Amino acid sequence: MRRWANFSLILPLLILLAAFLLTPMAVLWVRSVNIDGQITLNIYVESLTNPRYLTAFANTALLAVASTALALLVCTPTALYIERGRRESWLAVALTIPLSLPGIVIGFFVILVFGRTGVVPQLFESLTGQRQLSFAYTFWGLLLGYFYFQIPRVVLVLRGAAAGISNDVLDAARTLGASSWRLYTHVILPTLRPALLNAASLSLATAFGAFGTAATLSRGFRVVPLEIAAAFTENFEPERASALSLLLAFVTTLSLVGVGRLGGQRIPQDSQT
Amino acid sequence: MTASDPISRIGRFFAWSAAVLVLGPLPVLLAVSTSPNWQRGPWVGGFTLRWLIEAWERIAPIVSFSVQLALIVLLIDFLIGLPASWVLARRNFRGRQLLLSLTILPVAVPGIAVGLGLILAYPTLKAGGWLLIVGHILYTLPFVIGSLTPTLADAKLREQETAAETLGANSLQRLLFVTLPQLRRTLTAAAVMVFTLSMGEFNVSFFLFTPNQKPLPVELYSGYITGRLEVAAAATVWFLLLVIPAAVLIERLGGSRLRGQA
Repeated sequence: MRRWANFSLILPLLILLAAFLLTPMAVLWVRSVNIDGQITLNIYVESLTNPRYLTAFANTALLAVASTALALLVCTPTALYIERGRRESWLAVALTIPLSLPGIVIGFFVILVFGRTGVVPQLFESLTGQRQLSFAYTFWGLLLGYFYFQIPRVVLVLRGAAAGISNDVLDAARTLGASSWRLYTHVILPTLRPALLNAASLSLATAFGAFGTAATLSRGFRVVPLEIAAAFTENFEPERASALSLLLAFVTTLSLVGVGRLGGQRIPQDSQT
Repeated sequence: MTASDPISRIGRFFAWSAAVLVLGPLPVLLAVSTSPNWQRGPWVGGFTLRWLIEAWERIAPIVSFSVQLALIVLLIDFLIGLPASWVLARRNFRGRQLLLSLTILPVAVPGIAVGLGLILAYPTLKAGGWLLIVGHILYTLPFVIGSLTPTLADAKLREQETAAETLGANSLQRLLFVTLPQLRRTLTAAAVMVFTLSMGEFNVSFFLFTPNQKPLPVELYSGYITGRLEVAAAATVWFLLLVIPAAVLIERLGGSRLRGQA
C-alpha cells in the first residue's frame, strides 16, 4: 500500500523523463542511424572524417581547454581570497552574477567592449589614432566570453574547498620558511585537488555545450553547437544534427563523469551544470 | 592570514580583476543605451532615453510572454518536484540513484541537443508553445529537486515531524505546520532560481520557439545579430533589470550552489 503511494508521488517525474527526455534521446539515435530505411553508422563515420566537422570539434575542444585553464588560474587565488579573507562579501555576490546571464548576453558584452565600435578599440583609437583590439568576433573574443561564464562556476566549486584549508597548516609551513610558491605547490593545490578536478570538469562540460555565446560571437570560428544548429535549420540534415548532438552530449557527459573520477571521489550532485 | 602576505595579495589582485571583468560591461551597456549615436562616442549630442523607450515598446509583449512561460514552468516544476523530492529524500528504493542521475541529466546534456530531440520527437507540439514549456521544465526541474531533496532529508526536520506526530498531529497538519514552513527558504530560493533560469533560457528554446511564442532571449539574440547596437543594448538593460535583482536574492538565500548552462 505504502509502496504504491510512494510510486504515485514520483510517477509524474517518471512520465516526464520517459516522454520528454529518454524518448527524444532515442529519437536522435534512430534518426542518426536510420538513413533512407537503412541502418548504418555512416553519418558518424562521415562526420568524424569530414574536415568541416573535425575542425568544429577541434575548435570546441581548444576553446573548452583554454578557457578552463584560464578560469582555474584566475579563480583559484580568487576563491582563496574570498573564502579565507571573510570580507568584502559584495565581491562574492558580484562574481556570481554571470550565473544568471544567458550566453547570448555574455557574447553581447564582449561585442560592447571589444567589437568594431567597442569601448576598448574606441579608447585605443582616441589615444593612438589607430583602431585596434577589436577582436570580439575572433577566437580571442570567444575565449573571453567562455572565460566569463566559467568564473562563477569555478569560484563556487573552489570556495567550498578553500574554506577547508586550515590557517595553522599555512602558518606552520611559513614558520618553517616555506615561500608562497612552495605553499601553493605543496599545501594549497594538493588540498584543493579534488575540488580543482570537479571545477575543471564542470567548466569543460559547460564550454562544450555552450551555444548562446558562440552564436552571438562567431563569424567563421565554428564550434559544434553552431554546426548542429546549421545542420538542422540551414542545410536541413536532421540526421547529421542528431548525430552531432549525440556526439556532443557524449563528450559533455564524459567530461563531467570522467574528469571528476580522476580525483578519486564522486562528483557531488550539485556540481553538474 | 594578514592582508600583507603574498597569497592574500595575489588573491586580491585576481579577485579584483575578475570582478572588474564581470561588472565592467554593465556601465558600458548603460552608456551605449543612453547615447544618441554610439559610433560617435558616448553621450556625444547629449543623454537620451529614446533607445530605452523604443526597446521597451518592442519587447513589452515578449516580456509578458516570457513571464507567463516562467510562471507556468514554475507551477508545474513544483507540482512534479515537491512529491518527487519527498520520495527521493525519505525512501530508499531500487533505482533511486539511477533516477537521481536521470533527473540531473537534462542539465548535463547540451541545451541544443535537448531542444533538437524534442522537436524531432514531437514536431506537432511545437505550435502553441507546448514544447517550450516542456523544454524549460526539463531544464529547471533538476534545480528544484536538487535543492529540495537535501532539505527534506535533513535529520532535524524529521525529528520535528516525529515530535509533532507524538503530540497528535495528523499527516496533513504535519505537512502544513511543520514541513512546509521549514522549507520556505529553500522553496523561495528554488522559485527565484527557476524564474531566472526560464527567463534567460536560450539554448533549449532555439529550436522550439514560434513567431507567436517567442521568449525574451530569442528576441534579444535577433537584436544582437541584426538590430541597431543602441536598441539591442537598451533591450538588454531591461532584461538585466528583471534578472540581476533575482540573482542577488538567490545568493543572499544561499542558493548559489545551483547553476545553469551558458
